[in-house]
Amino acid sequence: MAQPKIPIDLILSKMAEDAGKAQARAEKAPDVLLGPLDTQIAATPYDVVYEEDRVKLKHYRPVIPTEAVLKTPLLVVYALINRETMLDLQPGRSVVQNLLKDGIDLYMVDWGYPTRKDRYLSIDDHVNGYMDNIVDFIRKEHNLPKINLMGICMGGTFCVIYSALHPEKIKNLTTTVTPTNFDTDQGLLHIWMKDVDVDRMVDAFGNMPGDMMNLGFLLLNPARLMIDKYVGFAENIGNKDFVENFVRMEKWIFDSPDVPGETFRQFVKDCYHKNLLIQSKMVVGGKRVDLKKITMPLLNFYGKYDHLVPPAACEVLTSKVGSKDTEDICLDTGHIGIYVSSRCQREFGPRIAGWLKEREEEKKESRVKKPPARKAIKKKTNAKTKASSKKSKK
Amino acid sequence: MNEQQQKNKGPESLLEAWMKSSTEFWGSMASKWPGASGTASSKRGDPVRVQESMDSALRMWQALSSSLSDEGTRDSLLRGINSFPEILTKMIQTGWDRYFQMQQQWMEKTGKIEKRAEAYKFEDVDQDAFKAWNEIYEEEFRKFFYAPQLGLMRVYQERAGRFTDKSNLFQGAIAEFMHLLYLPMEKSFNAMQEKLEDLAKEELPENPKDYYQMWLKILEGHYMTLFKSQEYTQALGKTLGSMEEFTMARQELLQDALQSLPVATDKDMDELYKELYELKKRIKQLEKKA
Repeated sequence: MAQPKIPIDLILSKMAEDAGKAQARAEKAPDVLLGPLDTQIAATPYDVVYEEDRVKLKHYRPVIPTEAVLKTPLLVVYALINRETMLDLQPGRSVVQNLLKDGIDLYMVDWGYPTRKDRYLSIDDHVNGYMDNIVDFIRKEHNLPKINLMGICMGGTFCVIYSALHPEKIKNLTTTVTPTNFDTDQGLLHIWMKDVDVDRMVDAFGNMPGDMMNLGFLLLNPARLMIDKYVGFAENIGNKDFVENFVRMEKWIFDSPDVPGETFRQFVKDCYHKNLLIQSKMVVGGKRVDLKKITMPLLNFYGKYDHLVPPAACEVLTSKVGSKDTEDICLDTGHIGIYVSSRCQREFGPRIAGWLKEREEEKKESRVKKPPARKAIKKKTNAKTKASSKKSKK
Repeated sequence: MNEQQQKNKGPESLLEAWMKSSTEFWGSMASKWPGASGTASSKRGDPVRVQESMDSALRMWQALSSSLSDEGTRDSLLRGINSFPEILTKMIQTGWDRYFQMQQQWMEKTGKIEKRAEAYKFEDVDQDAFKAWNEIYEEEFRKFFYAPQLGLMRVYQERAGRFTDKSNLFQGAIAEFMHLLYLPMEKSFNAMQEKLEDLAKEELPENPKDYYQMWLKILEGHYMTLFKSQEYTQALGKTLGSMEEFTMARQELLQDALQSLPVATDKDMDELYKELYELKKRIKQLEKKA
């Protein structure tokens, strides 16, 4: 086999040039790494207004005059995997700050760190227990019959279940990268999960170890997540801003609480193995989760390149709920990009805030005059940005 | 040496002399023992139990001594002593025979391992090597850890055997899994070589970073192919399964060790947590109703 003639001389000269740059970076690196670094995450001020067991409710302090703040508060429910701090990674690139600036009265659930004591907590305990108590607390605080609900990933699945079981308490529902249809081979997680013996796993570990899940996520794309990412870090080691952002992301990624065993067991069995939720056959707390009972407006975000929760796992939901006001928004990004990429930051928060405001105003108008009977229309629009949107007002 | 001298040096004379002196010693002890006079009694008037049992032991010894003094009994005992080396030799012989038999069996098994190794072509050291090792382990070695255990400690020995077995299986599975994860790396270098050959027909990049990006893309592609394959899913399932079983076996062993310490085991705590969970749930439901 003939060896290809690689232009060694050119490559070597380029490498020599790069070596000079690398040396300059290496000289700067100690100053950056050993100097003061601002790597704090979740820095937006908040108050813990409710606590139950390990679960806390954060209420973010408004950043605009109170009269400009939307009357109906928004409760954000994060997944049990990783932490809600992802929504507030850094000043200037924070979903939390964007929502506050757009006049949202924001509450967020902090699930805390489950210990072995929490291994028997089921989906029912999370949805009909903690979530319901929190929703009741906010309703009481604001003297409102309904609040807005937004879920992220597995937290979104919880929100879907909650909204189906307690529709009388939810005014508008927003789901983001939320898996509801698990019968797909698009994502590796969906392929792998089908063969997992979850009973043996939970019996062996009690709770599902966060570190083990993290290793699984890294293995979804080892070339990028275990090699290229750190090559990128080495290339930018002299850049203080880059290092700060990188460390913030690392802090978030590897801050992985364990998932309560029974919750994990039911989630894998009922969702990944049997795909019961989307068929309205899942039973939580002795009650069937009927998606047709989700009659409130629904806004459904997902990422086109999401390798954890692929579009096929998210986009079916809007066609299965009972709501006449639904919208799918597919952004040109991945699972985390929706919340942290600069491009999505400009769109994601304002879009949610705008959608909620629209429905708040509709409500005010509806008090004044009776709205005309809604006609079923299906509208497909291409957003000006790279995002594609599928809006449906049945 | 005459017959009388030989007799004096034989076991008979030794036994006789020892019997005589011990009988005399215990006889004199018995006579000096306060209980022997039959006067010793407790303050409550009952004979002391210790003295009673001592008396009975002395009487037993005297009876035994007198029976051994009998010529017929002594002769049969001495015959037994004389045949002792013969018994010992036979026992050792049986032991050796069994040992050689076992060694032969081991040799045969080693032969089998070689056969398997040949069949799977060990020199290639690929995925088949792990399969071969797993089969050899499961068929030839594993059974030793499950040999029936006997006696008071049998349960603990069984757990120790199970732990060792599960640990070995886990090590085997993780080695296979790691090897599988390394395959795309190996393949990416080969694919890179081919890609360079194709590129050489036109123009090769001058920037080393381009080569890195090229390789990374190839590597990513190979990983995606691997991750979607049945082999990977099976290896992943096997690794997870063996890790879980190893964790459970380790837990059982730890529990045994912790039982002797004033430390609650996971099992104890889990039972407590379950009760606590159920109680809390009931209280919360009652609170809501109230």
